[in-house]
Amino acid sequence: MVSQRHDVTLEWPDADRETRTIAVDEDETVLEAAERSGIALPFGCRTGACGTCTGRLLEADGAEPTAADDERTVDVDGAFSYRRSPRALKDRHRTAGYVLLCIASPRTDCRLAVGANVHTELVENPWK
Amino acid sequence: MSDVNEPSDVEPDHEHDHHHEGPGYATPQAAIEEGEREELAYVMSLYVGTDVDAPDFVSVVDLDPDSDTYCEIVDRIELPNRGDELHHFGWNACSSSCHMEGLERRHLIVPGQRSSRIHVIDAKDRRNPELETVIEPEEVFEYDLSAPHTVHCIPDGEILISMLGDADGELPGGFLELNDDFEIEGRWEPPGEIEMNYDYWYQPRQNVMVSSEWAAPKTYYPGFDLEDVEAGNYGQRLHFWDWEAGTVEQTIDLGEEGLIPLEVRFLHTPESTHGFVGAALSSNIFHFWRDGESGEYRAEKVIDFESREHDDWDMPVPALPTDILISMDDRYLFGSNWLHGEVWMYDISDPSNPRRADSLSVGGTFGEVQEVQNRELSAGPQMIQLSLDGERLYWTTSLFSSWDEQFYPEEGERGSVMLKADVDPRKGTMELDEDFLVDWGECPEGPARAHEIRWPDGDCTSDVWQ
Ligand code: FES
Repeated sequence: MVSQRHDVTLEWPDADRETRTIAVDEDETVLEAAERSGIALPFGCRTGACGTCTGRLLEADGAEPTAADDERTVDVDGAFSYRRSPRALKDRHRTAGYVLLCIASPRTDCRLAVGANVHTELVENPWK
Repeated sequence: MSDVNEPSDVEPDHEHDHHHEGPGYATPQAAIEEGEREELAYVMSLYVGTDVDAPDFVSVVDLDPDSDTYCEIVDRIELPNRGDELHHFGWNACSSSCHMEGLERRHLIVPGQRSSRIHVIDAKDRRNPELETVIEPEEVFEYDLSAPHTVHCIPDGEILISMLGDADGELPGGFLELNDDFEIEGRWEPPGEIEMNYDYWYQPRQNVMVSSEWAAPKTYYPGFDLEDVEAGNYGQRLHFWDWEAGTVEQTIDLGEEGLIPLEVRFLHTPESTHGFVGAALSSNIFHFWRDGESGEYRAEKVIDFESREHDDWDMPVPALPTDILISMDDRYLFGSNWLHGEVWMYDISDPSNPRRADSLSVGGTFGEVQEVQNRELSAGPQMIQLSLDGERLYWTTSLFSSWDEQFYPEEGERGSVMLKADVDPRKGTMELDEDFLVDWGECPEGPARAHEIRWPDGDCTSDVWQ
């Protein structure tokens, strides 16, 4: 059975890196596809527990998330299917569009913010 | 390959005076007297979590002041994979095995905190160690464990590793045992003895082990979130184990003043039942000891670091004492307050009444010294290591990659440093050695972080006596 492929565009915010688009099979993860294409994305546990691989969904199937009232038109859970439970993400992260690329496979074409800076958005200094 | 060259039927000899055959030193005092000045350090060095396309590595740092390469990273043992987060590590054998004829302190066991991969490095050639074996994460997950932390050799040549989570990065954690061929032997304890795990230390002559608590990997891996504190997802307990049986005999809840008890140390004297643990989030140090009458352990807060106001911070800044160690002569407790930017020493001649001896204000949020040799310090003192003779204290500045990013975002851009203080144990004073600086900002692939430090021939945070 031939599985479907989707175009996933990777963008590195605040870094001088070129945007890259890779084709990701429905049965492989974005991280695996990036590695297959020779692109280094950050990762740690590869089991969905550490958040090191976190990306943020910018656009899925042509629809951009709108920030109004925190309502987003992009359904992250519809755009990706997870191999296992994304433990590193809290509900507030999931609704804000964060995705764990080590365990997520696309179900549609999409654009993602990737790189180490995305992970650092998950938690901030609580005293500052 | 085993480091036991010949089988040994020799019974452990608790006197040791006439029977020192194996690795290490017969007593802590022998370590002080016979140990030579440290000329090399092994330091955990990491790129995990950054966009630098390179694996973490073990640095070999030249500490010999007479050498041309003093303060330089003279060798780097590169590991085969990215994403490990090298953190803590240990030897296959220490002074607790000094009755084991033929056993050598030769192999470094280097786990990846995030990957759960365990590396075995042959350090027979102290300046050019080589990677020997890798235990892949899947082999570890089979025992429903992940997130390896503290490595201690246990007296019969085996190796015990505290594991902070189950295979999914949730609770409970436990302990993984490796045999002397560096294969997984299995779980050390009956599963379910504890929920949270972190550091541990054992005192075999007293048949006791103590373990502390951080949190589930999925809680601390992504970064520090106050929501998790409120939800009770961080630890505040100490567990006292029957060392032979591998079972928890007693648990002490340290309460709110004991939040996130991290590094835990017994005194080096093998008869002692006194020890200390640093409660990082509550910024307190606890003394624990066995009550002679009841035989039960007790714990009491003995040092309290006050939070400090800072113009740029909304709330008072906690000290965050993240590492402690005890000098080999059991006289001083040293520690690092990572957020405030302080290394300190307390005289613990009377362990229930530590007396502040000295401190240095360096790096961190309040440190008086903010650069060394024109190199800006981008974080506070963190992992510390002391020479066997107690005269030189060294430290690095990275805590954990995701926590560094929250509290000291510049550290990822500039890399870590290793600094040193000269200690006068007679006077109880410390002085920053401004001629000493090792800079991970200049690594070939880009700035790296630096974490735990070990000496080739035993140190104050890994040697235990039988
Ligand atoms: S690599 Fe750990 S959650 Fe993806």
